[in-house]
Amino acid sequence: MENKIITKYWNKIDPLNIQDYIKVGGYDALKKFIRDMDARTALEEIKKSGLCGRGGAGFPTGQKMEMVAEKTEKKYFICNLDESEPGTYKDSSIVDNNPHMLLEGIIVSALIVGAGKAFIYLNGHYEKQKEILAHALEQAREKEFLGKGIIGSCYDLDIEIFQGAGAYVCGEETALINSMEGNRGEPKLRPPYPTDSGLCGKPTCVNNAETIASVPWIIVNGGEAYSKIGASCSPGTKLYILGGAVKKPGVVEAPTGTTIHKLIHEFGGGISCGKELWFAQIGGASGRLITENELDTPLTFSRDCPVPLGSGAVLIVDKSVNIYDLILSWTGFFRRESCGKCVPCREGTFRLHEIAGRLKDGEISERDKEALEDILWTLNNTTFCPLGKFAATAMSDAVEKLGILGD
Amino acid sequence: MSTVEKILLEFEPETRNLLPVLKRISAAFGYVSQKDAQKAAKYFDLPLSRVYETVSFYDLINIKKQPELTIEVCSGTNCAVNGSFEIIREIENLFHVKAGDENNPRIKLEIISCLGQCGEGPVVVVNGKVYTKVTVSGVHGILKEWV
Repeated sequence: MENKIITKYWNKIDPLNIQDYIKVGGYDALKKFIRDMDARTALEEIKKSGLCGRGGAGFPTGQKMEMVAEKTEKKYFICNLDESEPGTYKDSSIVDNNPHMLLEGIIVSALIVGAGKAFIYLNGHYEKQKEILAHALEQAREKEFLGKGIIGSCYDLDIEIFQGAGAYVCGEETALINSMEGNRGEPKLRPPYPTDSGLCGKPTCVNNAETIASVPWIIVNGGEAYSKIGASCSPGTKLYILGGAVKKPGVVEAPTGTTIHKLIHEFGGGISCGKELWFAQIGGASGRLITENELDTPLTFSRDCPVPLGSGAVLIVDKSVNIYDLILSWTGFFRRESCGKCVPCREGTFRLHEIAGRLKDGEISERDKEALEDILWTLNNTTFCPLGKFAATAMSDAVEKLGILGD
Repeated sequence: MSTVEKILLEFEPETRNLLPVLKRISAAFGYVSQKDAQKAAKYFDLPLSRVYETVSFYDLINIKKQPELTIEVCSGTNCAVNGSFEIIREIENLFHVKAGDENNPRIKLEIISCLGQCGEGPVVVVNGKVYTKVTVSGVHGILKEWV
């Protein structure tokens, strides 16, 4: 059973040399697409594969592509490489280790949806990755995998790198588009969805980099083969980022539906020496907390899954960690990154951070405890975009599962 | 030495270039002054308020002149469990500053969000130079280079 798709050639090929990637079968998906398939049949394969968005939301990729592919006007394709969830560096690892796999995915995906222009929205801090990608684009152009008449066909495509300037909320697709248009990176009201009216009002398909990097494998091996990997509700492999008190932290690839226990012990080499597991946080700062007796939960993107997989970050927190510092980390992050567009999030994240500060200083009052409940409910239910909801998740779990407020 | 005019002329005056231009100006001069913002507004044919809308939103663009020493400490979850808050307290005591205080003309200590280098945390950035795997005792040596 093939369990490695994205990481298969990591540390085996030179990421800066396109020849290395071609030697191991790189750009075969593009050749196959151009010679044996058309946009419609390729889209069928993607739909059959059951591939869903790896950024965290888990929206079916095939469905999203179809919505844009149906349109006849000018279209855009955007690779979302904004990745700023704390503890998440999977997309940058893809670029560091095998940038051409991502490029091939972008080219094939853009041709499937019928876009003539694709963008890579890169995190503002990723200077090294920008260089790697620019270099890779140059090589791909030389080989005629990009530009006018891709490998002798009638397809044209150009890819441009657009670098953000450090804003977490720009990972949300409407905010990302706003940012690319030179506006504040605030989310827009949906509908209209970007698939109808996105960049410059044109239909736009925005996909996470990890999702896109899976596309070449699906084209070469077929959608059905992909759908047999991992959990049936959201098949495929996923990059998990192990961090905290594990022996071997880093990015690992495993099928979806893997349990947290297995990730820690099989992939992470177990808990670090002398440390004792307290809880795990799945999906970065916006992720849920998992205590010891829930470690056997399989992680999937399904809505029925009690633990949303999110970005795939798995943080192992041991008992020596100061929980109040961690709470300050969560609340401080969302207070800084709240864009300020809607009141519940702007005020809620601010007050939450204040309360976290008082909690740390041991000065929390009864009034704070009452207010905390209201703030968490408001964040969870009334904010404009999911950022506010995320801000409440970890804190709610800390109150419920860890009993940080005392009795 | 590049001037604002030179930077502006590298880009077409289309609004999609506004963010890259402002980022470049901020990187080149440390911040986007009101004068520079006015020049950008004129070049892009936008109201000044519209330029400020964008300029004030992003972390990587400053609108104030930066102090000689800016220390940024990542407080993302991975860095936090590895002790970034202890490092912040150490720096606060060392320089008698408070994290997030914008009024000190000499030193700015800032808590920042994830830089995507979580495998090598805690991460400390001093005047743009990134240090990884920083410890409470190690931070003294790092800061000595700059003071």
